[in-house]
Amino acid sequence: MNEVILKLKNFSLSYKTRKGILEAVKNADFELKKGETLAIVGESGCGKSSLARGIMRLFPRNLEKVSGEIYLNGEEILSLDEESYRKNIRWSKISMVFQGAMNSLNPVLKVVYQVAEPLMVHMKIDKETAFKKAKEILSLVGISESFSERYPFELSGGMKQRVVIAMALITNPQIVILDEPTSALDIITQANIMNLLKLLKKEFNLSYIFITHDIATASELADRVAVMYAGEIVEISPAESFYYKPAHGYTMMLLNSVPTLKIDKKLRSIPGTPPSLISPPKACRFHPRCQFVMDICKIKEPPMFKKDEEHFAKCYIGESHE
Amino acid sequence: MNNNEVLLKIENLRVWFEIRKRMLSQPLYVRAVDGINFELKKGESISLVGESGSGKTTLGKTIIRLYEPTSGKIYFDGIDITNLNSKDLKWYRKETGLIQQDPFGALPSHFTVYRILEEPLLIHKIGTVEERRKRIFKALEDVKLTPVEDFSSKYPHMLSGGQMQRVVIARSLIMRPKLIIADEPVSMLDASVRIEILDLLKELQDKFHMSLIYITHDLATVRMFSNWIFIMYAGNLVERALTNELLNNPLHPYTKALLSAIPDPDPENRKKLREVPPGEPPNLINPPPGCRFAPRCQYAMEICNTEPQEIEVQSKHWVKCWLFNK
Repeated sequence: MNEVILKLKNFSLSYKTRKGILEAVKNADFELKKGETLAIVGESGCGKSSLARGIMRLFPRNLEKVSGEIYLNGEEILSLDEESYRKNIRWSKISMVFQGAMNSLNPVLKVVYQVAEPLMVHMKIDKETAFKKAKEILSLVGISESFSERYPFELSGGMKQRVVIAMALITNPQIVILDEPTSALDIITQANIMNLLKLLKKEFNLSYIFITHDIATASELADRVAVMYAGEIVEISPAESFYYKPAHGYTMMLLNSVPTLKIDKKLRSIPGTPPSLISPPKACRFHPRCQFVMDICKIKEPPMFKKDEEHFAKCYIGESHE
Repeated sequence: MNNNEVLLKIENLRVWFEIRKRMLSQPLYVRAVDGINFELKKGESISLVGESGSGKTTLGKTIIRLYEPTSGKIYFDGIDITNLNSKDLKWYRKETGLIQQDPFGALPSHFTVYRILEEPLLIHKIGTVEERRKRIFKALEDVKLTPVEDFSSKYPHMLSGGQMQRVVIARSLIMRPKLIIADEPVSMLDASVRIEILDLLKELQDKFHMSLIYITHDLATVRMFSNWIFIMYAGNLVERALTNELLNNPLHPYTKALLSAIPDPDPENRKKLREVPPGEPPNLINPPPGCRFAPRCQYAMEICNTEPQEIEVQSKHWVKCWLFNK
C-alpha cells in the first residue's frame, strides 16, 4: 500500500491562446501510492482535466510548453518519445475514463468489439482471444453476455458507462484516471457505478486518480484529496483532514457551499468567479475571493505549508508569517 | 389575496407520445406522464424530484402548455386551461414562466441582454419605449446584474454561466407570472454558483409571491428550497409530502432508495458499498402492469402486479404503494 506508483514533480502545462499564454497547470506535485485513490477536486476551469490529460500525454494542439517530471514506478516518463510512450505506457500502464465518454462510443460497432479493440491494436492479440477477454471483463462490470453483442444505442446510460470502464480496464493498467465518471448519470445509477469502482479497485489493486467537481461524490472513493484552484494544487491531504480539518481558505469555503441532505446548515456561496488563467491574480491566487484574506496574501505567494502529517496547504491561515 | 387559494390543480393528467405510426397496426405510446393529481397553492413551491426519463420535465412543460395533455384536466386560477386556443394561450404564457436547464442554449446569441428582455414585452405589446426601458433595468436589478447599463448592452457570450442563468431568470420574471417552472436551473452551473442562483430564485419567489415548481434530480438542493417534495418515478408520482416530513420519514421504497443513494460528504463513504436497488427504470412504452417500481423493489408482493392507488397515509403525506394500502 505504501509503494509509490506515480509521482509528479513540478509538472506544468501551458497553452497558446489568442489572448496570450494560458497556464493550465502550474507546478503540480504529488505522489500516488499503489491501491490508493487520489481525488482531484475543483471548479470547472481550474485545470483538473488538463492535469489528467497531461499525465496521459494527450495534449491539445495549442500546447505551448510542458515541463516537470513524471515518474511511473520510479522511471521518468515525461521525457520518453511519443512512440515508446504510446507503446509501453498509455493504456497498458495508465488508462483513463474520459468525461462523457459514454456518448463517444462508436454507434455502428458492437460494444464487445469496442472493448476488445485496445487489445487487438495495442497488444496485437488475435480477434478471438480479444473478444473472449472482452466478454469476461464486460461481465465483470455487470454487462451480461447477451448485451455485449448489442450496439451502444441499445444500452442505457449506466450500462454505457460500464462499457467505458471495461474499455479502460481491459489492458490491465495499474493506474486508472477517472474524469468525472458519473457526472451525467442519475443518482441511483451513480451509486451503482461507484459501488462497481470500489469493487474493481479491490479486485485488481488499482490506483485511481479521480477527477470531480462534486465534493460529495469525491468522498465515495477518495483516500486522499487534492484541491485545485486556478491551475495550482492548493491543498493536499488525507480525506479525513479534507472533510473535517480543511486548512486552505478555498477548501473551507468550498465545503461550506455544498448542499447536504442530512445536515441542515446555512450554505454560503463563494463570491466572484474563478480567475482567468492567462493573467491570474498575484501572490495567492484565491485572495480576491477569500473571506479570510490577510495583507500578506496580496503581496507574497504562500509556499506549501505542512499543516499536519501528510497534510499540506498553500495558505497563510494559521501560520506565523512575519 | 388569500394565501390559501389554489393556483394550480391537476386532475388525472396523462401525456402520452405516439411513436411508430404504421398503417393497420396499433400505434405505440410512450407514457411519459401517466395519471397525476395534485394541487399547488399561491406562493407555495414544489420540488419535483425524479431520475431522467421519469417524466418530470414532460409534466412541467405540460403544465405551462408547451405540450398537449392526452387526457385529464389542468386548472389555473380556477380556469380550465387544458385546451386553450392560441389567443388564450398567449394570455397563459404571460401568467407562467419557464427557466430552462441550459442557459447557454436558452439565450439567442445575436441579441443583447436588453433585447432579450425586451422581447416578451414587445410580443405582449406592453408600455412605451421608456416604460419598457425602466422595466428591463428593474428586472436586471432584481436579479442583481448591476450596474444594469453595463449588462444590458452585453451579448450572451460575454457572460459567465451564472450570469446567463440570471438573465434567463430575469426574462421569465419580466411579465410578473404567477407560476414559474424551473427545470434543473442549476445543474449546468458550477457548485459554487448553484447556491447563489437558488438563493436568488427563492428570494424572488417570496418577493413577488409566485408559485414555483422546481424540477430536479438533485435531492440535496431541495432542502433549502421548497414547501413540498414530490417524488416521480416512471410517469407516476409515487410519494408527496411536506419537505421535512418526506426527508425525515420517507415511506415509498423508491424514495428510500433515492435518499440512500445520495452521498453526503463523508470520508467514511469510501469504506462501504451503498445499498441501492439494481436495474434501471422501466421502458415507458411497455411499463410493468402494476406498481412500476415493483420489478426493482425488495418488498415486492403479488398484489404489486395491480396498480396501487395513491392514499393519504398521514395528513398531507401521500404515497402510492401497496405496503400502506391496507
